[in-house]
Amino acid sequence: MRNIRLIARLDIKAPNLVKGIQLEGLRKLGDPNEFALKYYLQGADEIFYTDVVASLYERNSLLDILEKTTNNIFIPITVGGGLRSIKDVAAILRAGADKVSINTAAIKDPNIITAISRKFGSQCMVLSIQAKWQGSYWEAYYDNGREHSNLDVVEWAKKGEKLGAGEIILTSVDKEGTTKGFDVELVKAVTDSVQIPVIASGGMGEINDVDAVIKDGHADAIAMAHVLHYNNLTIDNVRNHCANNNIPVRVYTLTEND
Amino acid sequence: MIQKPQKIDYKKFSDDKFDEVKYGLPPEVKFCKNCVESNQRPSTTVEYHHKKDSKKETVFFDENGVCAACNFSLEKDSIDWDARDQMLRELCDKHRRNDGRYDCIVPGSGGKDSIYVSHLLKNEYGMHPLTVTWSPHIYTEWGRKNFDSWIHGGQDNILITPNGRVHRLLTRLAVDVLFHPFQPFIFGQKSLAPKIAASMGIPLVFYGEHEAEYGSEVENDDESIQDNKFYSDVSFESMYLSGVPVEELIQDFGIDKSELQPYLPVDQNIINDNNIEVRYFGYYKKWHPQGAYYYAVENSNFSAAPERTVGTYSKYSSIDDKIDDFHYYTTGIKFGRARATEDAAHEIRSREINREEGVALVKKFDLEWPERFADEVFKYLSIPENEFPSASKMFEQPIMDRSYFEDLSDSFRSPHIWKREDGLWKLRRTVYKE
Amino acid sequence: MKDIVIVDYGMGNIKSIQRGLEQVGASVILSSDPVVITNASRLVLPGVGAFYDGMKGLQNAGLVNAIHDFVRIGNPLLGICLGMQMLLDQSEEHGIHTGLGLIPGNVKMIPESNHGEFSRKIPHIGWTQIKNPGFQNWKGSCLDDIQAGEYFYFVHSFMAVPEKKEYLLAQCEDEGLLVAAAIKRDNITGLQFHPEKSGKAGLKILHKFINT
Repeated sequence: MRNIRLIARLDIKAPNLVKGIQLEGLRKLGDPNEFALKYYLQGADEIFYTDVVASLYERNSLLDILEKTTNNIFIPITVGGGLRSIKDVAAILRAGADKVSINTAAIKDPNIITAISRKFGSQCMVLSIQAKWQGSYWEAYYDNGREHSNLDVVEWAKKGEKLGAGEIILTSVDKEGTTKGFDVELVKAVTDSVQIPVIASGGMGEINDVDAVIKDGHADAIAMAHVLHYNNLTIDNVRNHCANNNIPVRVYTLTEND
Repeated sequence: MIQKPQKIDYKKFSDDKFDEVKYGLPPEVKFCKNCVESNQRPSTTVEYHHKKDSKKETVFFDENGVCAACNFSLEKDSIDWDARDQMLRELCDKHRRNDGRYDCIVPGSGGKDSIYVSHLLKNEYGMHPLTVTWSPHIYTEWGRKNFDSWIHGGQDNILITPNGRVHRLLTRLAVDVLFHPFQPFIFGQKSLAPKIAASMGIPLVFYGEHEAEYGSEVENDDESIQDNKFYSDVSFESMYLSGVPVEELIQDFGIDKSELQPYLPVDQNIINDNNIEVRYFGYYKKWHPQGAYYYAVENSNFSAAPERTVGTYSKYSSIDDKIDDFHYYTTGIKFGRARATEDAAHEIRSREINREEGVALVKKFDLEWPERFADEVFKYLSIPENEFPSASKMFEQPIMDRSYFEDLSDSFRSPHIWKREDGLWKLRRTVYKE
Repeated sequence: MKDIVIVDYGMGNIKSIQRGLEQVGASVILSSDPVVITNASRLVLPGVGAFYDGMKGLQNAGLVNAIHDFVRIGNPLLGICLGMQMLLDQSEEHGIHTGLGLIPGNVKMIPESNHGEFSRKIPHIGWTQIKNPGFQNWKGSCLDDIQAGEYFYFVHSFMAVPEKKEYLLAQCEDEGLLVAAAIKRDNITGLQFHPEKSGKAGLKILHKFINT
């Protein structure tokens, strides 16, 4: 098994870090760069920024934030939210992002997955899927959890992989912000169906939540938001837990970065 | 006889100049400088007097172009909320009963606001609330689930559901006569709690938000008390329900007088004799919808809707009635502003978003056609003969369908708000740039 | 002398590399000018994306010869990720395409399985430990300050396979497969991982590079 990545997820409504529950009711938490730096120093393996209101206001305002982040944070940064075209993606990559995360644009025109992956490499094209349980299957939502697509998440994931996505970030709309644990069934359904890495997102509440989503869900990485932003856990708490529970992670000692 | 809507003459709408201004609205459409509301927004009406030709009072805009709701909201900033909290405690101390009886009534639906009020009263203020619910026209799945989990989470509740046939008939009439499908709900919403208070001897009723939060004038000296004009003090003979005189409802539409019970106001004497106080919780606690959402999620099993609400951007506000989509849509037709405007304006005032964002939200979502429940609602609004043997005869076209609804919509559009261009309806003025 | 030139040919996360280098004390020039590139005291060739596009980008900017000239002069060249892969003769990514030919060898796809035993997820993404396979000394290279077993961030679907083992500077293991993590031939070094994205460990490498 490859080392599991511990990812800090920051939802942004520029210029603030925000957090909602079930992707609703955004609360402002502060300066994204301060939080990102804190997570970098705690040993985050990657940072994910999502502009959660880009689809409402037809803008992606992460360029400024990204610029500041790249000044003193030297781990991979993925940016998503409102990226609609190759031009948008090029601008974000040029501003310092390593990967881009696409949801709405891909649902509206799946060919964009191929276009981005061809031009910038599939490793930079992360397909973001927001999944909601509908009683017998998971449905993919877009516009930050607002609109439903009638697409079956598992089928959509497979299609995304075929079209050239390099990775999937899979968010449970039902669980996110609730701290009631990951939707392990959801993660497993997707990891069973694709050959590209899957990042599980949404619902982390306690440190033990990691176990099921990695061991049963087969996630390659986990993204954490609420638990980190509200200081319930730190990344090194999670890292130590993994190390002590047979979950391979990179070794990182807190005093490393000062 | 309810005539079916005639096709209207587009000429009134096609010129830059217009002759007619419906509903007594201000002829020039203006938008609040602070939020996104328009000056066409009607103040909260006393529905018992609401007729087809009624003139609307609208929200007041001051000399700086700021609406009354925004000004009210600014005043809230300088309120001493600790003092208000103290007043609430004293009010509760005065009414609290420790002998096993209920001491207050919380009207609500199981939405975030009623959860907030009932939970706080019970857990923080030591009260023994009875919650009281006036059923939605047509429950949404998630609305019913939230209602159930509210009660099963630990609240006593009385649910009153009106006679389905009568409710449908009144709703259809309200749509034809006033283009106001929500009116039958409003009657119950405003009168049910005081009625139960009177009949069960529970003298304290806590509603949530003051109408002033939406810009209606505050007429009482004591802002914490709801004006009784909303729920009482109307004589039977002078009453209109669905814009139709009550006597006509009984004689021509086959409704029995007893079936009108849920819609009638409370007898003011009963209110006085029992010393019933109908107050606003929002007077004592700073009202914050998003705060209520968080409170509800953290203290109960409340869930936001699984899909975006039609005509707006949120998923957690007023999500239990399928008719709601049409309520806001019809408001949009009549007044040129609808749900996204209302939600965005509210969030601007509570500083969740700024005006620029509010404008973008209005542009994106306001007046969205309510497709998702349309078929079901049209069926609900139909008055077929087998279900309504006498009432169906009073309608030229008892069955409601989309084209009827569209023609009806058009008949309620005012030329000072709408124009007809290239075969499409457009708002003459919008808060956003095209 | 700490002026570093980063080849700007339209591909790659140059901002990050620039920031990383500046963080460790370099002053950095981004350039697509062949003259500047040839005469740089140290050159960094970044790259993110497909091999064919990378090479085309270099060709369109007229930089292939400039890089060759630079190498001939003998100053240190550092290729990162795709920049490392382009140092080789050719790649099989989306067809057979010619590289810079500075280090003999090819770029091949990371196999999905070891003899059909299991499936490996492609791309190889994540933090992986590197070690020295023993063909070159890390001392005197930009890995001088690195200890075996330190973690670096990899993200790639194709891997460099140098013709001769002695070009291997570092290796990592990805689920049973040995992958070239770093290659070196004289003044030319290639890193498959991203030093500018590998936290403090990566910064150590950049620091060494600008100071040798």
